[in-house]
Amino acid sequence: MDGFLITVLSNIGMISFVALSAYILLLSGQISFGQQAYFGIGAYVAGIATVMWSWPLAAALVLGAFVAGAAAGLVGLVTLRLSGIYFAMATLAFAEIMRIAAELFVYRREIGGIETGPDGIDGFRDIRYLFANDISPFQSCLIVYALLVAVLATLFIVERTRGGRMLRQVGEDPLLAEVNGIDVMRVRIAAALSAGAVAGLGGGLYAHLLTYVEPRSFDIMLGVHALAYGLIGGLGTALGPLLGVLIDIGLLESTRVFRGYRMIVFGGLVAVLLIVRPRGLLDEVAISRIRQALRRWRHAGD
Amino acid sequence: MVALDLAQNTLDGLMVGSSYALLAIGFTLIFGVMRRLNLAYGPTIMAGVYLGTAAFISLGAPILVVLAIVILGASLVGLYVERLCFRPFGEGARTASMVASFALWMQIEEAAMHLLPRHMNPFPALVASAPLEIGPLMLRADHLVMLAATLLIAGAATYLLARTKLGLAIRAVIDQPRAAAIVGIDVERVMMLTFVLASAIGGIAGFLIAATDAQVTAMIGMWATTKGLVAMMLGGLGSVKGAIAGGLLLGVLEAHAQWFLGPQVRDMVAWGLLFVLLAFWPGGLMGAKALDRTMAVGRRV
Amino acid sequence: MLELQGLSKHFGGVRAVDSLDLRITPGQIFGLIGPNGSGKSTTVNLITGLLPVTRGSIKLAGEEITNLPTHVRLSTGIARTFQNIRLFGQLTVWQNLWVAENARAQRERASFLSRWLGGERGARTRITRALEFSGLADKADELAANLAFGEQRRLELARAMAAEPKLLLLDEPAAGMNPEEIGALDDRIRQIRDSGITVLLIEHHMELIMAIADRIAVLNFGQKIAEGTPAEIQSNPAVREAYLGTAA
Ligand SMILES: Nc1ncnc2c1ncn2[C@@H]1O[C@H](COP(=O)(O)OP(=O)(O)OP(=O)(O)O)[C@@H](O)[C@H]1O
Ligand SMILES: [Mg+2]
Repeated sequence: MDGFLITVLSNIGMISFVALSAYILLLSGQISFGQQAYFGIGAYVAGIATVMWSWPLAAALVLGAFVAGAAAGLVGLVTLRLSGIYFAMATLAFAEIMRIAAELFVYRREIGGIETGPDGIDGFRDIRYLFANDISPFQSCLIVYALLVAVLATLFIVERTRGGRMLRQVGEDPLLAEVNGIDVMRVRIAAALSAGAVAGLGGGLYAHLLTYVEPRSFDIMLGVHALAYGLIGGLGTALGPLLGVLIDIGLLESTRVFRGYRMIVFGGLVAVLLIVRPRGLLDEVAISRIRQALRRWRHAGD
Repeated sequence: MVALDLAQNTLDGLMVGSSYALLAIGFTLIFGVMRRLNLAYGPTIMAGVYLGTAAFISLGAPILVVLAIVILGASLVGLYVERLCFRPFGEGARTASMVASFALWMQIEEAAMHLLPRHMNPFPALVASAPLEIGPLMLRADHLVMLAATLLIAGAATYLLARTKLGLAIRAVIDQPRAAAIVGIDVERVMMLTFVLASAIGGIAGFLIAATDAQVTAMIGMWATTKGLVAMMLGGLGSVKGAIAGGLLLGVLEAHAQWFLGPQVRDMVAWGLLFVLLAFWPGGLMGAKALDRTMAVGRRV
Repeated sequence: MLELQGLSKHFGGVRAVDSLDLRITPGQIFGLIGPNGSGKSTTVNLITGLLPVTRGSIKLAGEEITNLPTHVRLSTGIARTFQNIRLFGQLTVWQNLWVAENARAQRERASFLSRWLGGERGARTRITRALEFSGLADKADELAANLAFGEQRRLELARAMAAEPKLLLLDEPAAGMNPEEIGALDDRIRQIRDSGITVLLIEHHMELIMAIADRIAVLNFGQKIAEGTPAEIQSNPAVREAYLGTAA
C-alpha cells in the first residue's frame, strides 16, 4: 500500500474516535463543542507515559483513555445539568481552558541524553515509540482500526442493552425519560465518561502516529467538525459518524478534486443535505427501514 | 502605580469591550428570534470586512465607502446564511441548523481567502491623531470613536426594539413565536429582518475593530464568533443591555488579565470565568433559564 | 390511594394550583374537570414530580412522595399519559414500550449490571403482549413519529400500562378522537379500573367522564370548587357558573 493512502486511512481512523465521542453525547441529547479536550488529554497523557515513563504503548493508551474519561466525568458532574447552548458553551470553555493550559504546560526531562517532553506552545515532539519499536505505518494503521472496531463493537453491543436504550430515550426527551423511571443525570454522566474515554483513546493514537501533538491540534475546529460528522453521517447508528469522517477526509480532502474549493463545495452540500436529512444520511428512519427489510428477508427465508 | 494601571486597563478594556458588546448584541438578537446559535456569524462579518478591504486595496475606496461596503456585504451574507441554515429548518432540527451554519462558516472563510489570500491585509485607519491625555491616563481617539459608535448603535437598537413596530414584532417573536404567528405577525419576515440587522451590526463591529488596528487578519471570523459568544453568555443571554454589560465586562477582564498575566492567560481567564459561572452558578448571571425545568416542562405537557 | 393536602403551585403571580385537597380511594375512576387553564395538567405534573411543588404534600398509599425525584416515582406505581401526546418519536414502537422495563428493573431492585445489560427473557413476552393488547403488533419496528394519531394515543396508553402502575394519570386521553374511538377508550378505561388500577382521569369530554367516573372534582383557577358523584356535579350551580362564566 502506498504511504499516502496509509496516512489518509490512519487519519480517518483517528478522527473517527472524536466523531464517535461527540456522537455518544449527541445520543444523550447534549451538544458538545468540547470533545477535543479529551482528545488532547489522551494525547498528552499517553505520550508522556511512553516517552517520559517508558511505558508500553498499550498501557499508555489505556491510561490516556482513562484519564480523559475521568476528566470528562468530573466536568460532566458540574455541567450536565445545563441544557442546550449553556452546556455547549461550558464544554467549549473547558476545551479552550485545556488548550491554553497545554500552551503553558512545560514538563521537560532528560531521557537517554536528550531533553524531551511537552514544551508549551511548541507542543510535545519526538514521541518515537512506534519508530523505536519498528512498527511500520501500515502496522500502526492496523492498530488504529483494530481499536476502532473494538470501540464500534462495544457501541453496537451497548445499543442492544438497556443502557443503550436509556441513552437514546434520554436524548430524545429527557423529561419523558424521567417520567418513565430513568435517572437522566446518571445516564448522561455515564455517556460523558465513555465519550471522554473514546476521544482520549483517539488522542493517544494520534500522538504516537504523528510523533507529536501540539495545543493547536485540538482547537475548536476539531470539536465542531467532530460534532458535524455525526450529523452528516447520521444519528441512527454508530456507523454514521464514521461515514461523515469518510466523506469529509476521505472523499474531499484526500482526493483533492476540489483543491482550494473544498469547503466552498462541501459547506454548501452539507447545508443542503441537512435541510433534506436533519438527522443525517443514516438517520433513525433509514435504520428502521433497513431493520424492517432485514426482518422481512429473514422471515422469507424461514 | 498599581492604581493607575488598574484605571488605564479598565479604560482600555471598556473601549475594546465596546466592540465585543456590538458582537454580543448581534448574537443575542439572532439567538433570541431563532433560539439557536449562528456559528457563521463571525465569518459573515469577515466576509463584509474582506469585501471592504478588497475595495480599499484595489480601488482605494475612501473609509466611508469601505464602511458602507462592509455593512452591505455582511448583511447580504447574513441573508444567505439565514436562507440556507435557518429558514428551512423546523423546531425539531435545531442541531442540524447549527451544524449547517458551521458548514457555511467553513465555506465563507474559504471564499474570503480566495478574495484576499494573504494572512494580513491593510485596512483604512479610523483616526490618526495622537492619543488624548486625561491627567495621567491615555485615551486613543479611535477607541473613543468605537465607544461612541457602540453607544449609538446600542441606543438605536434599544429604541428600535422598544418603540417601533418592527421592534414590537421582534420582541413578540422572541417571547412567544407561536402566539406571534397567531396574532398575525409574519414570523419569517421578522426573523429575516432581525438576521440582516444583526449582521449589519456585526459588520460595524468588524469595521471598527479592523479600522482601529488599521489591518485585518484571517482570524477575524473566528475572533468575532468566539468573542461575541463569550460576551453574550457573560451577559446572561437575554437582552441588549445584558449583551452590552457582557461585552464591556469581557473587555475589562481581558485588559487586566493581559496586563498582569500576559496574553495567553488573558484568554484563559475569560473562558475560565465563563466555565465557573456556568458550572457553579448557572442560576446567577444566566438567570433561571439555564436550569429551570419550568421552562422545559413548558406548555407542551 | 392518593392524597393531596394543601397542594399549591405558583408560576410567578399565577396560582396554577391553589391549596388543593384531594383523596382518591383505590379502585376508583376519579374525574378531574375544569375550564381551560384551571390547573388540571399542573396537578398531574406535580404528582409525577415534573414540577416542584410550591407548598403542600402528596401522599401515595400513605407514603409521602412530595419531594421524591421524578424518576423514582414510576417505581412507586405512578404512570401517566400526556395531554399533547409525548412519545419517543425517533424510536420504534417496540423501543417505546421497552421503557417500562426500566421501571421494572428498578422496582425489582435488579443489580446495576443486570439493569444495564437488561437481557431478561420476560421482557420480550411482556412487550409482545402489550403490542397485541393495543393492536400495534404489526407496527413494532415503525418509528413512533410515523404512527397515525389514534395509534400514537394507543401506544402512549400501552406504554403507561406496561409499567404496571397502581395509579394511572390520564390527561385528556380523548382529545382529538372520534366518537367510535372514544367508545373504545371508554371500554379500555373501565377494563383498567376493573383490573384493580386506580385512574385519575382529566377530560373535557363531559359525556365520557360523566359515564365512567366514580367521583369527580372540579377545579377553577387552581381551586377545588366542587366534588361529588357525577350526578351531584351535574346539578351543582357553582360548576355551571365556572363553565359558563360569571357574565352568563
Ligand atoms: N410551565 C409553566 N410555566 C408557567 N405557567 C404555566 C406553566 N404550566 C402551566 N402554567 C399556567 O398555569 C395555569 C394552569 O395551567 P394548566 O395547564 O394546569 O391548565 P389545565 O387545567 O390543564 O388547562 P387545559 O384544559 O387547557 O389543559 C395556566 O394559567 C397556565 O398558563
Ligand atoms: Mg391541561
